[in-house]
Amino acid sequence: MIVEGNHFFPGPREVVWALLLDPAVLAKTMPGTASIARVGDDRYEGTMAMGIGPITAAMFDVVITMTDRAEPEHYTMQIEGRGKFGFTRGKAAVTLASEGAGTSMHYQADLVVGGKIAAVGQRLLDSVSKLMLRQGLDAMTRELEHRLAGGAA
Amino acid sequence: MILGSYMGRRVLRLEDAKLLTGRALFVDDVELPGMLHVAFLRSDDAHGLLRSIDATAARERPGVHAVYTAADLGDYWQPGPLLVPPPPVPGLIFNAATQVPLVRDRIRHCGEPLAMVVAESRYIAEDALEDIVVDVEPLPAVADLEAALLPDAPLVHEQFGTNLAAQVHQCKGDYASARTAAALLVARRFLYDRGASAAIENRGVVASWDARAGELTVWDTTQAPIPIRNGLASMLGLGESQVRVIAPFIGGGFGPKIMMFYPEEVLLPWAAMRLGRALKWIEDRRENFYATTQERGQIHDAELAVSRDGRILGVRDSFLHDTGAYDPYGLTVPINSQCTLLGPYVVPHYDSEFKAVFTNRPIVTPVRGAGRQHGVFVMERLLDLAARELGIDRVEIRRRNYIQPDAFPYDHEILFQDFRPLVYDSGNYPAALEKAALMIGYEDFVREEQPRLRREGRHVGIGVVSYIEGTGIGPYEGARVTVEPSGMVRVATGVGTQGQGHFTTFAQLVAEQLGVEVTSVQVTTGDTRDFSWGTGTFASRGAVVAGSACHAAALKVRAKVLALAAPLLGVPEGALELGNGRVSVRGFPERSLGLGELARKANPLRGAVTPGTEPGLEATAYFGPDRGNAASGVHAMRVEVDPDTAEVKITRYVVVHDCGTVINPMVVEAQVQGGVAHGIGNAFYERLVFDDNGQLMNASFMDYLLPTALDVPTVELAHIETPSPLNPLGAKGVGEAGAIPTGAAFAQAVEDALSGTGVEITEIPLSPSRLYELIARARGGAG
Repeated sequence: MIVEGNHFFPGPREVVWALLLDPAVLAKTMPGTASIARVGDDRYEGTMAMGIGPITAAMFDVVITMTDRAEPEHYTMQIEGRGKFGFTRGKAAVTLASEGAGTSMHYQADLVVGGKIAAVGQRLLDSVSKLMLRQGLDAMTRELEHRLAGGAA
Repeated sequence: MILGSYMGRRVLRLEDAKLLTGRALFVDDVELPGMLHVAFLRSDDAHGLLRSIDATAARERPGVHAVYTAADLGDYWQPGPLLVPPPPVPGLIFNAATQVPLVRDRIRHCGEPLAMVVAESRYIAEDALEDIVVDVEPLPAVADLEAALLPDAPLVHEQFGTNLAAQVHQCKGDYASARTAAALLVARRFLYDRGASAAIENRGVVASWDARAGELTVWDTTQAPIPIRNGLASMLGLGESQVRVIAPFIGGGFGPKIMMFYPEEVLLPWAAMRLGRALKWIEDRRENFYATTQERGQIHDAELAVSRDGRILGVRDSFLHDTGAYDPYGLTVPINSQCTLLGPYVVPHYDSEFKAVFTNRPIVTPVRGAGRQHGVFVMERLLDLAARELGIDRVEIRRRNYIQPDAFPYDHEILFQDFRPLVYDSGNYPAALEKAALMIGYEDFVREEQPRLRREGRHVGIGVVSYIEGTGIGPYEGARVTVEPSGMVRVATGVGTQGQGHFTTFAQLVAEQLGVEVTSVQVTTGDTRDFSWGTGTFASRGAVVAGSACHAAALKVRAKVLALAAPLLGVPEGALELGNGRVSVRGFPERSLGLGELARKANPLRGAVTPGTEPGLEATAYFGPDRGNAASGVHAMRVEVDPDTAEVKITRYVVVHDCGTVINPMVVEAQVQGGVAHGIGNAFYERLVFDDNGQLMNASFMDYLLPTALDVPTVELAHIETPSPLNPLGAKGVGEAGAIPTGAAFAQAVEDALSGTGVEITEIPLSPSRLYELIARARGGAG
């Protein structure tokens, strides 16, 4: 499954970068995230729930490893999620570019989805993934606006 | 009942009362005291190394009795048997790799079993599956047939150094000369993708070990109870008489249930003996999409050489066959494709080579048609294309190429799946074609109706195709017929039954010879305690092989009846006749004995026995045909296509079928109707879709579409009977026939309906969306 797109953040690149890598922000903004913690410089571990079609709450243990990080421009994530309803794994690349006062983000993920979730949720997998990502990015944008307005994380 | 009155009669099925009132026993109906339930942990990955598996937590869950992984099986862990060794074709390559009971180190397809949980209930067992921690190192999957054979492809079985499972080249004549002489060459690539058998009943096993009696009883949805019994006895170190396998009523077999041995069949009896408890496992529908073997995907590159007047000079075909992760069933399926391509036609020069390929997908074994439809699809499409190019009518080009009725036995000069030469025993192909064309109104349709409707903007089409089905192969089956003192006649045979009507057709064959009411004949199938020898139900062979054995056993009993009755009635045997359940002196119906009475007399008391006397009106007989016989037929269908939505409606479906002597026309018609339903699913609805990682993406009936009653028309059917000389009944098989030419007929009819739009159909299954794409592409190309 390829998930690719652009998103515009109305804030400076350094702030966006910090947000994207902040586990507290990720936990708050990414839909279905039950927990996420930074367990090493380049490693995050967490638990996520995903509901797709007939599968209502598939819990995944997720490990994210940063493979190349060039602050504040670019990073690549190795994603590994496994749960009772299957697995997902793959790579995602994120690029940030300053655009006026804001930051434009390009993301591209190539994910393999397997097990029950692929077998019975296929029809919805694409749209649900995109929806969840969109919700996450929108929440992150609100978080950014909140921070820029002087609020804490 | 008068002798000779049961063959060809529409006897209502004797088993239906039981089935319709819910009294028939299916595996899931078996309830035993103290029975525990089994669930299997199956791999989410299609390809990977199993680094570790930890079942500690699962074993501790309340209600769990045992959890087994490959390591727990010890020496019992063995790959399954190679069921069908490759036929003796010169130069053949075959790499055998058979399935394992539980994965030990390498996962080779999604759904492959990793662990087995035994618990108080299925509910607890399934919860315990989630407690098992599995560590898998994923490997890139082999998911594409062509890429699988490239030098850098990942390997499904490293020991072979290749994903090539087999390579077989068969030819007759010299195709190069046909090519040189041809006025036209038609070459195309044809695709035929995977499907599920989708029987209404999934698989299931119940195993019970009686330690005091030293007896293992297994209820199994198998099509081959006797080989399962023999194999289990050998694996478990038991005598064959200590194992009883019962294949009770089964809700559809269609081929996958003859696979031996499925992991569950091997593991439940073993665990039942260890635990001293009866165990039950019933496959759920999602498991069935992975754990039961599937239909085949093939890619054909084929070329037809024809003369100006449409005569076939030769065919060359080279195809890839997806055998899945293992190849326990040998080469049966691709050899069926290779042989069936020749169809009812004279093909002077044939050159066919296939490569079977290992992939990280579930195992492929025969499913109704067993690869025959692929051959038919390729040949029929080539003929359609040649007819179009040459300006010859589609029916006419077939007519010109048929093997003629006086040409039998007809030798195609290659080997069939039964290792015998592909020699057709009998048939009358032109008669079937003329009849089918007449029934569907072919001439009127193409001359008048189609052009008229097209002027009204409607796209209607017609398809007429021929096929051969090699059926009724060996090795053998047997039957025992017993007349009981009550006058009831018992028949036991080893084949299992999955809805074919065996209880009726076998009873008809026996009643025919013994002159009893068909309702007085009780048939037992698929219980190894009742009949101990045989092979199984496959290759459309039940009526031919087991039926001939029933017939032979009935003849023996008839001879015993006559020999015993003659002295009792004081006349020579020749003066006796059988009827109405009695043996009587011809012309003197009052001088008679009931068969039950005679059965009592056949069990002599002391003093009445002369040396050499065999008690009972009972006999056992066996039948093994020299080779398979050639059933044949023509399918014709009319469709209407909406070119804007790609919706296809099948408006009429005609089948003219020749299965030799018809025992019960109703049973034959039902088999054909069911086969056509299967074939329509194959043609337009059913397709297993795998992604590049070997993940099945539509493992439920939400996404895997089966045709419904609304999509399947009632077949208008006519019989042609050219009796087979290869068995005493003259019967040929019919179980798979309906499913074999359907895709080819559908493709021709839909293409015909869309004629002028440039749509060419070279793939099956189609679907509304795929057909829509083809139409859109053709429109784009034209514009």
